Amino acid sequence: MDELELLKKDWQKKEEHLPKLSYDDIYPMIWKKSSSMVKWIFYISIIEFVFWAAINFVSSDPQYMQDLKAMHIYNIMMVLNFVNYGIILYFIFKFYLNYKKISVTDSSRKLMKTILKVKRTVTQYVWFNLIIFATYMIISLYGVLIFSDEGRKIVETATEQGNEMTFWFLVIVVSILFTGVLLVVIWLFYRLLYGILLKRLKENYRELKKLEV
Amino acid sequence: MNKELEHRFVTELEDNQNIVHKVCSLYTNDRDSHKDLFQEITIQLWKAYPKFRGDSKFSTWMYRVALNTAITLYRKSKKRVDTQDYDSVIFKIKADEYDDTEEKQLKLMYNAIKQLGDIDKALVFLYLEDKDYSEISETLGITEVNARVKMNRIKNKLRTILNP
Repeated sequence: MDELELLKKDWQKKEEHLPKLSYDDIYPMIWKKSSSMVKWIFYISIIEFVFWAAINFVSSDPQYMQDLKAMHIYNIMMVLNFVNYGIILYFIFKFYLNYKKISVTDSSRKLMKTILKVKRTVTQYVWFNLIIFATYMIISLYGVLIFSDEGRKIVETATEQGNEMTFWFLVIVVSILFTGVLLVVIWLFYRLLYGILLKRLKENYRELKKLEV
Repeated sequence: MNKELEHRFVTELEDNQNIVHKVCSLYTNDRDSHKDLFQEITIQLWKAYPKFRGDSKFSTWMYRVALNTAITLYRKSKKRVDTQDYDSVIFKIKADEYDDTEEKQLKLMYNAIKQLGDIDKALVFLYLEDKDYSEISETLGITEVNARVKMNRIKNKLRTILNP
């Protein structure tokens, strides 16, 4: 293509018109803070780890533990907690390893891939926490209804009135709806957050990948 | 020791800054974004510099970091200037340098390139910088054959823009 060759020549002539920064212009630049996307992902991930760890921490105060014992769901909650912490540690470890792999000197495609991998770890972490959270909620609800005084009263009243089936049906429907709405809200939030942050990266990555098919 | 590293880095960047400026003018539309991107590329280069072994030329290594920063790491600022009233220096054409038709052609070409996607721009850029296909393919992480195929498609695209 002649035009492109013409352009190439012209392009190389252009060098003389480029801005010219001096040593003293450049030197302070190396100490400025980066505002790269990777940094954003890192901060958001840290916030997420802390947020979900805090939720776990708050929900394990002594009073609450007593309540759990009274409701006979202490053991199952403890097992769940144990598993939970183990998996959180696993995620933090995996996140750290993946994050370390991000290197700006890799090829474009590999760089994009490693960034998406880090993001995937965080997404998995969030999903895992949501599932754990929902499980806690359901077990607690069950504990309250079966073992607490108020709960028992409600169940008894329902049974006396002959509405036991309807009552349990309602409980199930309400808890599913509640969990569902909660999950959708959180899911939307993440779509928005990462959507904004990663839209361009995903498009570019898709384009490079498309070439390899 | 560190001072020495800083000094070496800044000197090499100063000598090779054209590469960064060219990437900036390709990927940004106004002066502030140009400066912004230049800044970010400098930070990324500096962060990666201690691992730069010198197996490859400093400039070769720079192409990769600069493009990766522009395509992947840099977040475009919200105030995007889409109007064409600002042509960064490199896209400006001095009227007396060319005869009319040639000038027109070039102007059209530069505008067409500005409209390409991120990846296409990177390919055209490396092509204009006279890089061979093996270097282009290594920088982007695609095979050499695919780099050629892609480049041909871009040429066709540009051709249709120029001769509608």
